[in-house]
Parts: sequence; C-alpha cells; structure tokens
Amino acid sequence: MTKVSFPLMGDYYVPAKFLLNHILKVEVIEPPFISNKTIELGSKYSPEFVCTPFKYTLGTMIESIEKGADTLIQMGGGCRYGYYANVQKEILDNLGYDVRVINLVTKGQMDIGRIYRLLKEIDPKVSKLQTVYYSFLVIKMVKYMDLIDDYIRANIGFEINDGEFLEVRNLMLNDFAKVKNYRELRRLYKDYFWRFKKIKVRKPDNCLKIGIIGELYTIMEPFSNYFLEKELAKNHIEIKRFTTAHYLLFEKAFKIKKYIKYVKKYIKYPMGADASDNVARTKYLCEHGYDGIIHIKSSFCTPEIGAMPIISKIAGEYDVPVLFFSFDANTSETGIKTRLEAFYDMLEMRREK
Amino acid sequence: MDKVGIARGLFYYYYGDIWKFFLDYLKVPYIVSPNTNKEIMMKGIKKSNDEMCLAFKTYLGHLCYLEDKCTYFLVPRIDNYGLDNQTCTNFIAAYDIVYNLFDKKVLNYNINLNKNETLKKGLVNIGMELGKSKKECLDAYKYALNKAREKKSREITINLNKLNSTKTKILLISHPYNIYDDLIGKDIIKYLEKNDVEVIFSDKFDEKITNKLGTSLAPELYFKYSKENVGAIMYAKDKIDGVIFLSAFPCGPDSLVNELVMRKIKIPYINIVLDDTASFTGTETRLESFIDMLRRVTND
Amino acid sequence: MKDGYLGVDIGSISTKGVIIDDKNNIIASSYIWTEGNPVKAVRQLINNLKKDLPSDYQIRGIGTTGSARKLIGLMLRANIVKNEITAHAVGTLTFYPNVRTILEIGGQDSKIILLRNGIITNYAMNTLCAAGTGSFLSSQAKRLGLDVNEFGKYALKSKNPVKIAARCTVFAESDLVHKAQVGYPKEDIIAGLCKSIVLNYLNNVGKGKKIESPIIFQGGVSKNEGVVKYFKEVLNEDIIVDPNSHLMGAIGIAVLARKNKVGHVYNLEMTNVKFDTKAIECHRCPNNCELLRIYRNNELVDSWGSKCGKY
Repeated sequence: MTKVSFPLMGDYYVPAKFLLNHILKVEVIEPPFISNKTIELGSKYSPEFVCTPFKYTLGTMIESIEKGADTLIQMGGGCRYGYYANVQKEILDNLGYDVRVINLVTKGQMDIGRIYRLLKEIDPKVSKLQTVYYSFLVIKMVKYMDLIDDYIRANIGFEINDGEFLEVRNLMLNDFAKVKNYRELRRLYKDYFWRFKKIKVRKPDNCLKIGIIGELYTIMEPFSNYFLEKELAKNHIEIKRFTTAHYLLFEKAFKIKKYIKYVKKYIKYPMGADASDNVARTKYLCEHGYDGIIHIKSSFCTPEIGAMPIISKIAGEYDVPVLFFSFDANTSETGIKTRLEAFYDMLEMRREK
Repeated sequence: MDKVGIARGLFYYYYGDIWKFFLDYLKVPYIVSPNTNKEIMMKGIKKSNDEMCLAFKTYLGHLCYLEDKCTYFLVPRIDNYGLDNQTCTNFIAAYDIVYNLFDKKVLNYNINLNKNETLKKGLVNIGMELGKSKKECLDAYKYALNKAREKKSREITINLNKLNSTKTKILLISHPYNIYDDLIGKDIIKYLEKNDVEVIFSDKFDEKITNKLGTSLAPELYFKYSKENVGAIMYAKDKIDGVIFLSAFPCGPDSLVNELVMRKIKIPYINIVLDDTASFTGTETRLESFIDMLRRVTND
Repeated sequence: MKDGYLGVDIGSISTKGVIIDDKNNIIASSYIWTEGNPVKAVRQLINNLKKDLPSDYQIRGIGTTGSARKLIGLMLRANIVKNEITAHAVGTLTFYPNVRTILEIGGQDSKIILLRNGIITNYAMNTLCAAGTGSFLSSQAKRLGLDVNEFGKYALKSKNPVKIAARCTVFAESDLVHKAQVGYPKEDIIAGLCKSIVLNYLNNVGKGKKIESPIIFQGGVSKNEGVVKYFKEVLNEDIIVDPNSHLMGAIGIAVLARKNKVGHVYNLEMTNVKFDTKAIECHRCPNNCELLRIYRNNELVDSWGSKCGKY
C-alpha cells in the first residue's frame, strides 16, 4: 500500500491527515514534529541561499521517508515556493530515496482537475463523490480551527490557570480527527467554542495588543518562528494574526482587490505572494489601535523584502512601531528574546506616557 | 520640458531598446543613467533593504542618480506573460516599491498578459500619459518593436555564430542585468575574453525557441527568464565546453532553478554568486581553474 | 543608613557594575573583563564594589542586564532582570532627558535606540555579523601591533583614511592585510578601519533610522576617538560621549532596580555562596536540547534551554 506523507505546518496536519485517510486507500504517515534534527537534515542538503521553509520541509520529508513514506505531497505558491517540489524531488533522488513527490499547486494556481488526476495516480479507485464531500468537510474543519485559534490568540495571554487553553485545544483536535459528518463537526465546534469561552481569563481593557504579519510559513509553523506567539502570550499580550490556511486557500483571491483599494495611497498593484496583503494589514492594525506590529519572515523571502519599506513607511506615518524579524535556520534564540523584550518594554513605556 | 528617467538596471536590459526607440519616435526627451559605478551602487545600497538582491540594490542606485534629473521615472510592472511565464516578485513589486521610496511620478506601465495587459497597452499608456495621441503612440509602438527586433536578431546571430568558434566555448547563464552590469558581470566577461574564451550569452537567443526548450529539461518551470536561460543550455549543450552560472546574491529564482539545472545537466559548470562585498580576486582564481580544467579535458 | 542600588551589566567582553543612591548619584563603580566566566567576573566585581561602598549604605535593590542577565540575576537574586536595550535607554535618560538617539557599539554587538520625549520609539540590533564591533577592533589592533587604547589617537593623525570593505569581518580582515602589505601608512589604515566601522554601522544597524540630535555614543568603542571623529564627520552632527558611557547599561538597570524595589535589604557576601552551572544534553526527543542547570549551594534553582518546557 502506498504510504503518503506531507510536510508539517502548525497543526494543519490534523485536517490533512483526515482528508487523506478518508479519500484514499493509503496509509498516511504522520510527519514527525519539527525538531533540531529536522533543521540539521534540511540545511545540510539545501541550496545555499534558499528561503528557510525549503530547509524545514526538506528535513521533514527526509524524516517522513525514514518513517516509511514513499509518496510526499508538497504545496506551491506565487513565488519560488512553486519550485520546492521539483528541487526537493531532485535532491531526494540524489540522496538515493525512491519516492514520488506530488506538487498540488502549479504555476501559483490550484487546478482541481489536475489534483484529481494526481490523486488517481496514487489510488486508482478514488471516488469523486467522496473526494468532494470530504474536501468540503475539511475546508469547514480548517475554518473552524482558524476561528477558534483567533479567539485563543486574543485571550491565551490572560488565562488564570496556565495551559488551560492548550489543553482544551488538544482535546478539540483529537475530536476533530474522529469526526464522521458535517453535523457532528458543527456540533463539536459549537461545544468547544463554548468551552473556550468558559475558560477564566483576567483580561484588562487596555492590555497591549500586537499584530503579527509576514511570510506564511514562518507565521504558521511555530517552530520556525521560535514560538513567538507563546512568548508574547507569556507577557500578557493580545495577539492578532491574519494569515491562516483558510485565508490563503479560500479568502485571499476575493479579498486582495479590496485590500489594494484600502491602501491605494501606497500601492497600485498586487506585489506578489502576500506582500500587498501585509501592506494592507499594516494599515488596518495602525488604524485599529494596535500598539505594535511584528513582521516575521524567513531570510531572503523576496516578496516580503519588497513589502518591508512600504510597511515601515505606513507605520511611520501612523507612528506605530514595527519590529522586523528575519529567521534563518540558525538564528540565535537569545538575540530574538532580547529584541522582543525590548519591544514590549518600549510599548509599555509608550503607553505610560 | 518633461523628461523621462530610465534607470540602467533590471528591466533596461530587456526593454531598454524598445523604450528608447519608442520615446525617440514620439520625440519625448529622456535620460538614461550611466553605467553602474561605485557611487551609484553605494547610493543603492543605502536606499535599499539589506536583504534585497544585488541587482535590485543597483537598480535603486540608478534611480537615486536620476532623481533630480528627470520628471518621470519609467519603472514597469511586469507580472507575467501568461501563467507559464511569470516573473520574479521583484519585477512584480518594483513599481510600488519605487513609488514609495521616491517622491517622484512613476509612469503607468503594467504587463500582465493573464489579465490582458500587453506590452503594447503598456507603452500606449505611457505615450498618452506624456500627452501624445493614441495614433501616434500606436505608430511609435510598431516602429519601436520592429527596430528593437532587428537589433535583437542581429545580436542573436552574432551570439549563435560564436557557437561554431574553435576556441573554448563557455555559456554564461545569468540575467542580462547581471551580465552587462559594469560592477557585476563585466569583470568576468573581460577576464574570460582576455583568456581566449568564447563567451556565449544566455540572453541572446531566440526566446521563442529557448522558452520551449526550457520546459523540456524541467516541465514545471514557470519563471519566464529562468526558463529561457535553461532553454539556452539545452539549445547549445552539444556545442559548448562549459557553463558558468552567475547570480546576484540572494537571487530567489536562481537559488532554486540553478540548483535544479545543475543537478540535471552533464556539462561541466561552476556557480558564481556575487555580493557587493565580494572581491574579484577570489572569482578570478575560480575562473582560471575552471578554464584550465575545461582545456585539459578537450586536449585529452 | 542610606539606601543604595546595585546594577550589573554582564556583557560578553566586559562586566560593569555600579551602586547608585536615591538621587541616581554613582557611589561606587567597577569595570572588569568577563573572560568567558560571568560568575567569576561578577564575584570579583562585587568584591571591588564592596571596597568602594561607604559603610553607611545598604543595598535595597539589585538589577542585572546584558547577555548573562538571567544567570547573574539568579545568582544575585536580583529584583529586576531586563534586556540591555531598555537598560541603556533608561540609564542615558537619567542624565540626558532630551536625548533623541543612542548609538552603541559594544564588544560583540551594536545597537541603535531612538527616543522621543523620554521613551524609546524605535531600536535595532546588528543583524548580520560582528564586523565593526569592539572585539573585531581589538583583534585588528593586535594584528597591527598596537594597544587598543592608543588606536583612536593613531587614527586622529591620519589625513587620508584608506577605504576598507567592512561589511563582513572576513572581507575586512583580508582587505586590511592587503592594504598593509601594499604599504599604506599605519595611521591611514587605522583611520580607514575606524571610518569603515562608522559606515558599516550606519548602513547596517542605522539603516532607515532617522538619526537626530542630541546624539549620544556609548559602549566600549565610544572610547575610541577615531570612531567618534568619523561619526561626527559622517553624520555632520555633534556627538556626546559621556565619561561614564561604558557604565550606562549598569546605571540604567540600577535605576530600574530602585524603581522596582521590593523592600528587603540585600547582603553582598557573595563569596560564601556556592554557585554552579552544569550543561547536559537531553536525549528524550530528536531536539537534543542542551540544558543548562543552575545550582545554588548544590540546590537546583533553574534549568534552561529546553524547547518542550519540561524542565
């Protein structure tokens, strides 16, 4: 039987595994969590100045292969992300692994027909109806996860009993993975939302609020951003972030025009990948009373590098501080902490004045 | 009178000729920044973000030079030539980056074939923005296109003739804005030519042919310029002795496409990555040994 | 009894300590080399300070900052542990309430802090590499056979500083060797080095930051007259170097310790306390975290470095 795996990004492995399990007659190998070993492996075999997500995903692929996977699924995007699958396949070949790498997105586009054909290659008996049904179910699941995470992010910094949010969240993910149909999913979502709302928080009205923007992988995979959100929550800060899987897959295409109109004073065209989204979010955060903005990306992420001067300009006009982080696989963690600490010290000082 | 400023960087090496012919025909005065020099590069480095690629930094330096010498900047936005022929995100974002970094009017120019924005439309837009009638602009476009094509085909012929030379032949794979830039590629070409090497340029091929050939090596390539570079290798592979990959640090497309190609081709190659701090001595040593190796193989 | 507050700034190269009184006057100060052993350095530092401290003072607050702030914070049982950016800003503001820009070049890193109306509005730390920091300067001084303290005076003699590529230590060093071999006069090379440090700093840390006066330059390298001269020249602004500039971080953290005092009196008899650190590698998961365990009087007080949070 084919053994399928895929690179990890945050907790989205839960819906991904769910989907594959339900539509294909294959064994799904759950990718191991990213660890220092993943990065070591990934960096060792990656080209010199490739962006960091390449290294992380390559590392995960190798680890998945070691766990037995023979078919790997990779995504693509509007920048060089689209080349990941090709180059990684080439690297894996040279390392002597006999695996198939499947690229779901080509040329920045999701072609449904093509994806179906690819699925057929893996499992010739794949059913159209089931695929459609479970795809929609998983889309909903991702949406619910994102909605709940949104609530968690705004409140986790203020929980009275440490770890309560994460505990309930783990239960939720476990239950989501066992869902049978729409109705059940919806019921679970409502139940859990209620449970989250019942978690006691001590949140002052004027707590510090920080928005996180930047490159998608670094935002969504906590290991790659050195658990930035956790670190902020420890310091009792409300966090807002926009980039979620649901946004990228289903909302972006509709929203981008609106976004560009919103910042037409600064930009006229889409700037590639998520650059213009982040420019618009900067303005949004500035206008909605956020104390500061943290922009994170992996080193050498070209679209974000282009967005940075514009982000600084907007934030400068509104007088909102921006902290820029560029993460590589071997960024020193202490340096990050020092800069973060100084950032909220600064925000607090600004508040006091 | 209003003057159009054209920066000698990035886009210039693809569209410079057509722009110049176009503006000549319309009798619009323009100024092209000089060859890159240390001062221009320093200005660019100062203006840009640390992680931008060397070519983009240089480009911004050229704009700094032009800032007080013209009324408009001609900075195109080139999104794609169809979904199979996209460009680097720097090309997509350049217009907006320049618009925010400089306090200057930027001529409206957008190429997005996927959305029906063609080169023709882009140039006509510019002409009309400069106060010319639509008919004049269309004429100018036709004139410029023909002239630029003629010039290009002459260059292609010269380049292709070099493939029959008896000297050691090296195909230089890079983007034209690296190859012809005085501070990036020039020293390398000079060194090669001085050492009696026939240098074949990757950008002087018929792009219709190379574009197709590019996909024969790697079917999923979707960056137009990378694809044509790969196509050039495929076109010339039986006639050349070696390949030099030259990229500007940290070029996004090259980092992956070159890696992909290097793993697939069977021709001897070296990969040179240039940074603004790199000194030529190091590069020279590598070039020298590469040429020696190639000659040893051919003499055997 | 009068109250005093101890601030300790433990950098990678040097360890600084001050004791201030209620009105932020410096009562005692000390500046020694860290020599790779912060615990030992702090022990000596405290002994030095104790000697200078008048007997009618008692310590009511202790703060630590610098790269070893957490470790030393535990060791001294500090009531406040803060990062060096905040500490430097607070220290400088105590003496120069109107300061707008703080330039800082230390042993291993450099930073810039922008302030307005007494609060930090922006800051940056060096991101690329150690080029142009104190340790690079002292290693180059050694190469040229000079004491780092005379370096600045040499630089002032030069009229034509040579150009040195200084974005990265490796390139700078090879360029420097090359220029020396070709035969440029020593003072011109030294002046070039000082100037390149300034340019490198402004292009890297200071990129995109609006540098407005009053400008204060601090950190170990601020003692170098050559660098100060070229900062003035390049920025075309006056640069203030406080005689206590190397102590600013320690003063800042002492001020913060005073503001956050908890009430009890500290005992400075450090020498009696046994304080050990042990590094072990954890093999419970593929992360192989390097754990640092900290013992005071053989009792485990803290453990750092795990990614999972189990320790």
